[in-house]
Amino acid sequence: MGEETKKILEMLHDGKIDVEEAEKLLAAVSSTGASAAEPLTGTGAKRYLRVQVEPDQGTEGDRVNVRVPMKLIRAGLKLAAFLPREAQTQVNSALQEKGMNVDLSKITPEDLEELVANLDDLTVNVEGKQKVRIYSE
Amino acid sequence: MIPMTMRVDVRSEGRKGARLFFPVILLWIVVAALLAAALPFVLVAALFTLRRGPGVRLLLFYPAFIAAVFALSGLRVDIASHGEKKVFISFD
Repeated sequence: MGEETKKILEMLHDGKIDVEEAEKLLAAVSSTGASAAEPLTGTGAKRYLRVQVEPDQGTEGDRVNVRVPMKLIRAGLKLAAFLPREAQTQVNSALQEKGMNVDLSKITPEDLEELVANLDDLTVNVEGKQKVRIYSE
Repeated sequence: MIPMTMRVDVRSEGRKGARLFFPVILLWIVVAALLAAALPFVLVAALFTLRRGPGVRLLLFYPAFIAAVFALSGLRVDIASHGEKKVFISFD
């Protein structure tokens, strides 16, 4: 058991952090360092998340094509664990104001892996004007 | 692999666009120097706040930030506004 892991468990024992925070910090400890340069192995490994927004046929609109490395999403989730609890609460309340009842602090790297593993090709039509396509490649 | 360059391409319809290749490796050198300079203070702050909790977070921030910088490589954003601007950003 590493020194950092011990400290986190001690903090949990002392009640300085709750179980959720401890879980996040442990996940960050276990994967930082190795994750950055970690090569993706296996033929089925998805390297990028692709988000494409295109106007529907016959309509005019913006086109968006974003390619986000999976490693960046994972690293971002780990960085989010270091946000102070007050900031996380503000983010969640801002999302709720926009109608998104999602608690970002509860998304773990494991949830993301599961989501990505099941995400082959998702196409969403937005009010018949735009087509949003999300897939991994 | 750490991203070495950032490419920014901004074009407006009917106008001459702007294309920029920025060697972000220079930025990472500056950031690394700043992180190294701040490390003693961070260590002291972490030591003082270890009992209250945030100390461990401070220490773990360094590897998490470095992992995020390394993961930037391959990020591409391409936005084309109809009849107006086209923006392309990529980290390679």
